[in-house]
Amino acid sequence: MRVRVKAFATFREVMDSQVDLDFVSGATIRTLLAELSGRYEGLGGLLFAAPGTMRDFVNILKNGRNIHFLADLDTTLDDGDVIALFPPLAGG
Amino acid sequence: MTVQSDDRKERYRRQIAVFGEEGQEKIGKTRLLIAGAGGLGSTAALFAAMAGFGTIGIMDPGCIEETNLNRQVLYREADIGRPKADTAARAIRAMNASIDVEPVTAAIGTTPVKDSIRNIDVVIDGLDNYPARFLLADAAWRCRVPFIHGAAEGFYGRVCTIVPETSPCLRCIVPGLPPVRETPIIGVTTGVVGCVQVTEAIKLATGSGVLISDHLWLWDGLRLRSDRLRIERIPTCHVCGDDKYQIPAKEGVP
Repeated sequence: MRVRVKAFATFREVMDSQVDLDFVSGATIRTLLAELSGRYEGLGGLLFAAPGTMRDFVNILKNGRNIHFLADLDTTLDDGDVIALFPPLAGG
Repeated sequence: MTVQSDDRKERYRRQIAVFGEEGQEKIGKTRLLIAGAGGLGSTAALFAAMAGFGTIGIMDPGCIEETNLNRQVLYREADIGRPKADTAARAIRAMNASIDVEPVTAAIGTTPVKDSIRNIDVVIDGLDNYPARFLLADAAWRCRVPFIHGAAEGFYGRVCTIVPETSPCLRCIVPGLPPVRETPIIGVTTGVVGCVQVTEAIKLATGSGVLISDHLWLWDGLRLRSDRLRIERIPTCHVCGDDKYQIPAKEGVP
């Protein structure tokens, strides 16, 4: 299956704005982030506070819905999913 | 028609050509609260005053510092040390004496938040931290007041207009509590984002156009690109979710 990943704001400084990735059935957001962290140096530090522990203020949406309200890192991927990654811009 | 209203008509002639006298009248009757008078808030206050919003509340507990002057367009070097809310109010009154401007030097949450938005039609988020944003956005949702979220960092910015009952709330977009820190920030970005927030306020007031209410608008000044990202209301959200998941508000708890 193929999943499209879109990165926004400061994540674009360490990875492509958009990338399509292929996974086998059963892959999850955790699988996807591991793949991206291996592919883009510096991304893992932005996403994870410790190995396997995502920074809770990182926003990951699956088709517009925050994975925090799905199954977090265990949210399964489906063919055609659009996964958006963005940090919580805070300044005003 | 009075002399004063003739004067106003002339003042707004070029934009009455955009949304009509009726639209201008609606803007004049709209009461805005601009929460935070920093980069976003000072830009928003400037353009809201020029557009003729009838009442503009400006809420900020801080005083002007030298590091604010790279982006906070209402302040001058001589203003360093002065209260932001009062100084911003004075600046926009000087630009448009026909509007009511109400400075508030209290911080969000030091008085009941719902009192801050009593008699307010639209809130513009010019805040710089999420504990305060959540307090105000949650209260605005519960009081059925639209909340125009904006935020900026570096060359990046974003806006979402949260319309109670119809769109996702701020908690659906930002589920965790990001750390409070000094954000790298530049005036051109807060300028873009603040202007987009007032654009949304004008559309809310006049009923024109399409609000960015079920999408997050993301600005990338480095690539000169903007994107719209669809967002969904979360049924289990404790602010905007289904009734059984809602938790009553506790004042002062973000």
